[in-house]
Amino acid sequence: MKPVREHNHYELLELSPDASPLEIGRAYKKAFELYKDGSMASYSFFSREERKEIISCLEEAYLTLINPESRSEYDRKLIDLGVLEKGQQYRNKAKEPISIYDFKKEHPVMLEPNSSQTEDLKYRISKNPMIQEILTQDILTGEDLRKIRTALEVTLEKIAEVTNVRIGILKAIEEEKFELFLPIVYLKGFLKSYARCLQVDESIIINGYIKRFGTGS
Amino acid sequence: MTHICPIGGGKGGSGKSFVTGSLGILLAKQGYRTLLIDIDFGAANLHTILGIPHPEKSISDFINKKVSTLEETVVPTPVPELYFISSAMNNLDITGLAHEQKMKLLRHIAKLPYEYILLDLGAGTSFNTIDFFMISNSGILVTTPEPTSIENIYRLIRSIYIRKMRQVLNVYNYKALADEAEKRFKLATTNNPEALLNIMKELDPEKGENLEKALREFHFKLVLNQLRKQDNPNTGVLICKIIERHLSLKMHFLGSISFDDRVHNSICKKMPFLDLYPYTQTTLDLRECCKNMQSLIKEKKSIFSNYR
Repeated sequence: MKPVREHNHYELLELSPDASPLEIGRAYKKAFELYKDGSMASYSFFSREERKEIISCLEEAYLTLINPESRSEYDRKLIDLGVLEKGQQYRNKAKEPISIYDFKKEHPVMLEPNSSQTEDLKYRISKNPMIQEILTQDILTGEDLRKIRTALEVTLEKIAEVTNVRIGILKAIEEEKFELFLPIVYLKGFLKSYARCLQVDESIIINGYIKRFGTGS
Repeated sequence: MTHICPIGGGKGGSGKSFVTGSLGILLAKQGYRTLLIDIDFGAANLHTILGIPHPEKSISDFINKKVSTLEETVVPTPVPELYFISSAMNNLDITGLAHEQKMKLLRHIAKLPYEYILLDLGAGTSFNTIDFFMISNSGILVTTPEPTSIENIYRLIRSIYIRKMRQVLNVYNYKALADEAEKRFKLATTNNPEALLNIMKELDPEKGENLEKALREFHFKLVLNQLRKQDNPNTGVLICKIIERHLSLKMHFLGSISFDDRVHNSICKKMPFLDLYPYTQTTLDLRECCKNMQSLIKEKKSIFSNYR
């Protein structure tokens, strides 16, 4: 742990670099209560001079961070020093309203209702020798599933969208992170949705992967 | 594997014996073979808290060589799996323990065959108290939310810090360090061990790193006892924060124990509080502390086994 003397303003107030002004104010108040003269928890720990020094450092940190201009200047300094990364700064979300029609998501291509899409997928599966070979395997690994998916050019986000299965779960299935798994009942359900989305035979996927699950964990 | 937990804490009356007795009972009731040792030689109270007014044997029997092994001074308690070494019938001149006697006692304590050994240390920050506290790295400190008690906790921690520095450096190095520190920085006396460490790191980085490593091995725990309704419940967490931030020592907060006037009743009756008032907030708090202590010990054990 760095000595408190070498803390930057964020570390001193125990804030993350993208803290909002409200959080900064609260953090300063909390720290002031702890280090002020009458505080019980820090009673007798600091001499008067030490306390004065700490309080003035806290004040300086607060005043720098609460003012947007001085804060961005300070952030720039930290970025130059390599302490802060560019993306970590505070963004005032209130000033940038998010359009409700464009909520960061890519609109998924709905795979199920659109029959031409499904036909297209089925065609691609039948024509792709690698997928055919994988499907003949007795045991399917997470890596196999991923190969099938990427060969069909379907992203995990799309599958998550259509099947309502969390991306984290789908990733865990493909990366075989067995510790994260729920009981087999759920796993089978997820695999079924996954297979249906890719228009691959569900029973092959389920049985193949379950066998892997049995041996792998 | 035996877990030795010394329980101390500067101020008298903060509740060390109460916490020691209660934790001992809770551990024994879970089935662990537990031993409590009353190290508060001149002011032994643990026997009263446990409800054993006249223990037949005492630790001074071992120190004065009336018996040859420490195990022979152990007496059973009404709680199954809970055993006890008392200081009730100690000779009156036992308090000035010679260094060699102290080392012998520490060695024998470490060899006793129990799953948990809790030591009830006395108040104050004398060398004997500190050395017994340092028998293991995971001592428990008991404080109350009063400035007097908190002051004594900080004093005790700083004393332990300095004592550890003295142990790691030999006398010559330590003296040289203290002199150099005072020369450079008026406030860096033994009252300010953090400053001493910084200066050591500058003077001799290798020794400084050894020192830091030795200090990092401490895993202190804090119990905030006698928390009344008007007190700030965050006090315990804040104390731990100060110690971790400014002394770089690990200090875990085990929990707060509510003040209850009925503790007074149980002591007067000379019966364990947990048995008389099992459904009070204080009892729940004690159980919570015990649980936290056990999980911290388990965590520490698993970290070590990862290194094997």
